[in-house]
Amino acid sequence: MAEQILMAAAILIFLGVAFSVLRLILGRTVIDRVAAVDTLTVVSISLIALYAHVAGRSIYLDVALVYGVLSFLAVLAIARYLEQGL
Amino acid sequence: MLELFVYLLCGSILVSGILAVRLASTLAAAVSGGLASLFAAVCYVMLGAPDVAMTEASIGSGLSVLIFLYAIRRTTEKAP
Repeated sequence: MAEQILMAAAILIFLGVAFSVLRLILGRTVIDRVAAVDTLTVVSISLIALYAHVAGRSIYLDVALVYGVLSFLAVLAIARYLEQGL
Repeated sequence: MLELFVYLLCGSILVSGILAVRLASTLAAAVSGGLASLFAAVCYVMLGAPDVAMTEASIGSGLSVLIFLYAIRRTTEKAP
């Protein structure tokens, strides 16, 4: 049962990365690309957490934690840039 | 299954790099450059280097995009 749940999570993460990269390639406006990057950040954090479970190493969770704390910075900077504030 | 993810991440790094070179908008190019760094960080985790991945995630994906946008704002005259 746990194997199937992990496999389903891996397939969902795979599809998330694939479709977000597709949106990044096709994206008409800059906003579409920024939204794709933000989605990819969240998907990457879940991918690191899944890999930490699969590999059985809890030190990888620290990377996901640092990434989750710092990932808002780029999107915040882009938002400030688009509002002529930076 | 793990090899498939590494292939997907490497292909995404390639796509992000090509987009960063080819895109017309400077802002979109900076975003794509940050994304290549993001994928590289996940790739480092999968290759077994979590400390390198932590540094890459904080500096490459967060701080470099910020500095790029600051430089773009300071060196262009008109609004994008």
